[in-house]
Amino acid sequence: MVINKKIKRTMMESKSQYLGSLMLIIISCLLYTMFNQLTTNMVNLTSSFEKNYVQEDASFIADKKLDNIEDLESRFNMIIEETRSIDYLVSEDKTLRIFSENTKVNIPAIIEGNKLIGSDILIDPAFAKANKLKIGDSINIYGKDLKIAGFMSLPNYIYPIKSESDILNDPNRFGIAVISKDDFNEINKGSSFYTLKFNGDKKDVDNRIAQFKDYLKSENIIILKWTNIDENPRVTYVTLKIDGINQISTYMPVFILLLTCILTGIVMWRMLKREFILIGTLYALGYKKREIVKHYLTYPLSIALAGGIIGTILGAFTLRPMLNFMVMYFNIPVDYVSFDLKYVVISLLLPIFFLGISGYFVVNRALKYSPVELMKGGKEKGKVSFIERKLKLDRLKFSTKFKVREQLRSIPRSVFLLLGVVFATMLLLLGFASKSSMDFLMKDAYEDTYKYQYQYIFNSLQHGAPSNGEVFSISPFTLKSDSKTGFYVYGISPNSKYILLKDKQGNWLSTDKVIITKPLADKLGVKPHDTIKVVNKLDSKEYSITVDYIAETYTGEYIYMPLVEFNDMLKYPSDSYIGLWSSDKLNISESSLLSITTIDDFKKALDSTMQPLKSSIGIMAFISFIIGLIVIYVVTSLIIEENRESISLLKILGYRRKEVYSLILNSSSFIVLIGYILGVPLLLVSLRAMFKSVTKSMNFAFPVTIEYGYVFIGFVVIYLTYELSKFLSRRKINRISMAEALKASRE
Amino acid sequence: MFIKVENLKKSYRTGDVKTDVLKGVKMSLGKGEIGVILGPSGSGKSTLLNIIGGIDRCDSGKVTVDDIEVTNLTDDQLTDYRRENIGFIFQFYNLIPNLTVGENIEVVSNISRSPLDTDEVLKAVGMLDKKYRFPRELSGGEQQRVSIARAVVKNPKLLLCDEPTGALDFSTSREILKLLQQINRDFGTTILMITHNTAISAMANRVYRMRSGEIVEEIINERIIHAERIEW
Repeated sequence: MVINKKIKRTMMESKSQYLGSLMLIIISCLLYTMFNQLTTNMVNLTSSFEKNYVQEDASFIADKKLDNIEDLESRFNMIIEETRSIDYLVSEDKTLRIFSENTKVNIPAIIEGNKLIGSDILIDPAFAKANKLKIGDSINIYGKDLKIAGFMSLPNYIYPIKSESDILNDPNRFGIAVISKDDFNEINKGSSFYTLKFNGDKKDVDNRIAQFKDYLKSENIIILKWTNIDENPRVTYVTLKIDGINQISTYMPVFILLLTCILTGIVMWRMLKREFILIGTLYALGYKKREIVKHYLTYPLSIALAGGIIGTILGAFTLRPMLNFMVMYFNIPVDYVSFDLKYVVISLLLPIFFLGISGYFVVNRALKYSPVELMKGGKEKGKVSFIERKLKLDRLKFSTKFKVREQLRSIPRSVFLLLGVVFATMLLLLGFASKSSMDFLMKDAYEDTYKYQYQYIFNSLQHGAPSNGEVFSISPFTLKSDSKTGFYVYGISPNSKYILLKDKQGNWLSTDKVIITKPLADKLGVKPHDTIKVVNKLDSKEYSITVDYIAETYTGEYIYMPLVEFNDMLKYPSDSYIGLWSSDKLNISESSLLSITTIDDFKKALDSTMQPLKSSIGIMAFISFIIGLIVIYVVTSLIIEENRESISLLKILGYRRKEVYSLILNSSSFIVLIGYILGVPLLLVSLRAMFKSVTKSMNFAFPVTIEYGYVFIGFVVIYLTYELSKFLSRRKINRISMAEALKASRE
Repeated sequence: MFIKVENLKKSYRTGDVKTDVLKGVKMSLGKGEIGVILGPSGSGKSTLLNIIGGIDRCDSGKVTVDDIEVTNLTDDQLTDYRRENIGFIFQFYNLIPNLTVGENIEVVSNISRSPLDTDEVLKAVGMLDKKYRFPRELSGGEQQRVSIARAVVKNPKLLLCDEPTGALDFSTSREILKLLQQINRDFGTTILMITHNTAISAMANRVYRMRSGEIVEEIINERIIHAERIEW
């Protein structure tokens, strides 16, 4: 159709609006493609890693050595392998956890370099990078020089954290390594644990685990620690992260597309109103409705198509860097990068679908008028909205009245601005909220609650009173009614020096009572004096625990009870314990220890994690700045476009430049302010919901909060974005000549 | 003289083609008088009005309004000149559509040093009962009344009217002319009006006929008649 020749020209006349729509679609498709392809690749890489390198179903520490492994393997239709490990202190605050090389379960995957031959060592790439170690370098372990043969990943250490209660990894201070069994025997230190993998059908794994535990019990073998793979944070954190990205990849692009739909709808409606007479003329010339609809739908569809293609291509380009970024945290071999065609197609079709529908709705509305009505400029001209009519603004200053009226003139435009600012605010504050929450968690846990500096966990039950430190025990439990809800119960000293708990009112709670942390109490719906039925994961027996108090702390999902009561409940010797807390370093033989954790380790890990978080905050702030700028600039230019004659008139009437800027450009100020004010609680609510959903099956609680300082900084950023868009719009106002009002033949 | 125009020249260039719109116009109008500029389309009457009103610039010549040399003013000074001295009335009213009648008046009173009371002005133009209506809800004649109220609320020295009755029927036009005459008498406002309609010249003190950028005839009207008696 020859009338299609005007599409490009019309778009060029209102460049900023169409360019704004295009940019939003590009951002949306970029994010959609990037996140979905990333999660697909992460899921594929993780699952092929788990399969190809035989990820364990569970691991455990027993008080006795298992001598009949072959017999157990055939009896329980599984493979089982003894692994030895030791935490080697490379320096004061740097630990390398060395494992003996497995050949049946948790086989190390070589990412770069070669397999172990002779006195070699394999290390994880993040630790190597952080400590500037290269393949071919030598490391001295207990006096033995080991050459780095290559970099590797372990299927049970995808997220290499030192302690299971850690939430952050720090490759500067902790890494993993694998040496041959012979070399390990030569070192002759460390402790043993077992890893097992069931053959055949996985549906019944829980039962098979229970049967195996029963067998061990019947053989008088005490399980000191048992971890199922789905409770191992070194593996489940990957799922947590993928779930988090999945949520972002679902909601964020769709929300941006909705914004684009509103924007395109507004721009289209403005254009149609301007072209009512032309449409009427086209009708009169014999054009059919279908042809006119097709012509006007070309506008949104061409933008959707162009934005979809550009965004999808850009998204595809970001996949590899994003994967590289992810494997800095999650140690998985990246054998291949795949593109899921499904997401490519969806990314291309989604904007076409969204904009097609909103465009059709708008065009159809315009074409409901008869040709005569269209040629007269449409019926809408004479309409005054209900709100406009009812609003009494007599008491307000003229400039305020003008601004209010301006916003009411186009409700969709104001809604678009509001949603855009809310979205930009949420995106901007996302990083700040994460940092605030981390800081809060840090303060709550490591300044207010945990007062120890060192935590020692033994590889067997200890008896009697230690010469130094405060004794404790820990054991994993699940709810009887829901075996998926797991948590830890601590046995601690009455009046513990190292665990300080407060109730909601801020009163200190004595640790001679049974105390549940708030996140766990909330999860289980427990009130003081309630009794919960639980199953111990080590002996699979049922127990009842009556809760005395709820502690207002976010350190984790725990129940603290007096150690005597703990030992009595689990039928452990009354003077037994598994660990020690201390404010000073204790002289304990490494061979008797399973792990040593210091509060400083965590603090340092937190600090090093803050570095990438700072750059993500920067990136998110930049994206939100761009989205905010597009939205505000487009709305401002819409306001200017709609007010061309009024601006011209104001100039004629003697309004000075600054006065015109103030009336026209500042009319959106309170929408921006409201958008920001709404954005803050909406972010906190969404983040809480997101964390609640992704940490549902984990022993982990994340207190979502944001410091007032960051709220202020966020406001400054949004405000500056607003000011910048106003500044950029000034030129448009200046370009409007006084002749426009003189030529106008309105109303 | 309140308005004095001397040898005013203005031309537009479209590509290589130069069009002389004003070719050395000379005219004057006394304080408190009504002047009417008659002429066909393209004769340069709107350009002349715009230059006097300070919304356009000339190539050469001199315009003085109440001893202010308009042609010498900077852009900012022109803004102040319009703000303090000039009231505009347009053929198509140019009201701001999303403001009520009262608010449209406030557009001007908001920036005036000593504006008249909005309600009194609205009453004077017979629109007080429609203060809360929007322009879209008014007839053409009513909109022009609002436009007049907006122009006079700052009590301007000079009222410039560009075809004020051009879009109205006969009886409404006459009402509008009556109103302008009344303002001229009550406030002593000098009025310069452009029109195609020769009948309107009967209510003017001075009539200027323009053709092809020149004033070809200036008539001093000794027998001014009341607007009510104008017929066409």
